[in-house]
Amino acid sequence: MSHAKTPHVVDARYMEPPGPFVATMEMLDTLQVGEKMLLLLFREPFPLYKVLRQNGHAYESELLPDGTFEILISR
Amino acid sequence: MQAMLAFENAPPFSAPLRFFLSAPLFAVLAGLLVAFEGPDIFASRWTPGALAATHLITIGFMLQIMLGALIQILPVVAGASLQRPLAVARVVNVGLSAGALLLAAGFLSGRPALLGSAAFILGLTMLLFLAVTVTALIGVPSTSPTIRGIKFALFGLLAAVGLGIVLALTLAYGWSFPMVALADLHAAWGLGGWAGVLLAAMAYVVVPMFQLTPGYPARASWWFPGFMLAMLLLWSAGLLADWPLLARLGQLGCALAGIAFAGLTLRLQGKRRRARPDTTYRYWQMGLTAAIFALFLLSAAAIWPAAADLDGWALIVGVLLIAGGFIPFIAGMLYKIVPFLSWMHLQNCGQAKVPAPAMNKMLSELGMHRQMLAYAAALALLLAAIIFPAGLARPAGLAFAAANGWLCLNLAGAALRYRQHRADIEAKLAARLSTP
Repeated sequence: MSHAKTPHVVDARYMEPPGPFVATMEMLDTLQVGEKMLLLLFREPFPLYKVLRQNGHAYESELLPDGTFEILISR
Repeated sequence: MQAMLAFENAPPFSAPLRFFLSAPLFAVLAGLLVAFEGPDIFASRWTPGALAATHLITIGFMLQIMLGALIQILPVVAGASLQRPLAVARVVNVGLSAGALLLAAGFLSGRPALLGSAAFILGLTMLLFLAVTVTALIGVPSTSPTIRGIKFALFGLLAAVGLGIVLALTLAYGWSFPMVALADLHAAWGLGGWAGVLLAAMAYVVVPMFQLTPGYPARASWWFPGFMLAMLLLWSAGLLADWPLLARLGQLGCALAGIAFAGLTLRLQGKRRRARPDTTYRYWQMGLTAAIFALFLLSAAAIWPAAADLDGWALIVGVLLIAGGFIPFIAGMLYKIVPFLSWMHLQNCGQAKVPAPAMNKMLSELGMHRQMLAYAAALALLLAAIIFPAGLARPAGLAFAAANGWLCLNLAGAALRYRQHRADIEAKLAARLSTP
């Protein structure tokens, strides 16, 4: 799946936990420094935010009208 | 190792578990009380037995689980961690348990000392909980409808508790407050402003997450808590200023907002991607259907107030909303949350070296399903007992006690399996460390 913001997308909206977390960490490991990935979820993943901060990744989230949170994460 | 970091902020499992295991016992007590009191308990919502049973359920069961779940879930859904969660959980669990028992005993005996003690203990307990929760949420921006909903729900809780304390002391010491109007407001703020708004805020997260449905539309979920509170303020102003039309408008607004939320949730569940309906899904279907019926009755009473004076009307609304709506929502969520937390803590305990057993190994689907059927039968009996109290009051009470006892046994079984798996994982880890 691709997206206008980045070709690296994890659509975790219909995944049960901990699927979204694991899939995000796996994709982050494949990215080069400076690349970005997009995570799609129906909730804000605060435990993931904490891990991202601890590992030095920047992120920004946006709530879309259909209830999707788009979380853009920089490697 | 990165995956482990996600769990380090979670409170110890015993923090929420003590609430989840003790709460069903209060529902058992409520059922036994109905069985003991017999048909008289269904004479009106104001009988001492009905008041005692209602508060054993709303404080002993509902509030216990909601606060226990909040202690666990605040870091996950709001990024806000309570200070010393285990100590807070212990104090709040004991305070709510003692307060619910004293209050029920106060209603049944009419002794002012019991009612006064209950008001004092419950007031202090809730003050502590609100203080630590509000402190944790200070500085947390409302970036999601869930965070906004939790903040509004805490305001609803404060109002419900404040009104409850005034009512208990009015009953105990004969203060000259308008009891009926205050009791209606207390129920509206407790069930609508607190329980209803919190339920919606949690549903925005747990319904898509556990039932694999689409998300709740952002705009509707953002405005729902504010609309509910605005309608409750209208209702309150109308009752306190003796403007019946304003009060009826607020009541109608609350009921319609609740129906819209329940209807939307049913629609989302219809689009779920999980092929087989599980017990949580069925419990929620039961809860949503019963809540819609209750809220339609509430709307009808707002449009035609004489309806509320019909025999059994208030009891039917109360049983449909509390026993038919909130208890099934809570039981359904517990059947997802307890296995998930067990799995999460076992996964963390295994330190990525020893895998945790799958979530569905913690609680048997068949056991949950049968318990749910027993609960559905108890609910049907309770509703029928309002119409035919002479023959059905005692069987309904016993059935309600049995179904909630079964819920307690299922949850205790999961806790026991958690302890067994934890011991097993710790033994395997020790064996790996001792191997050269």
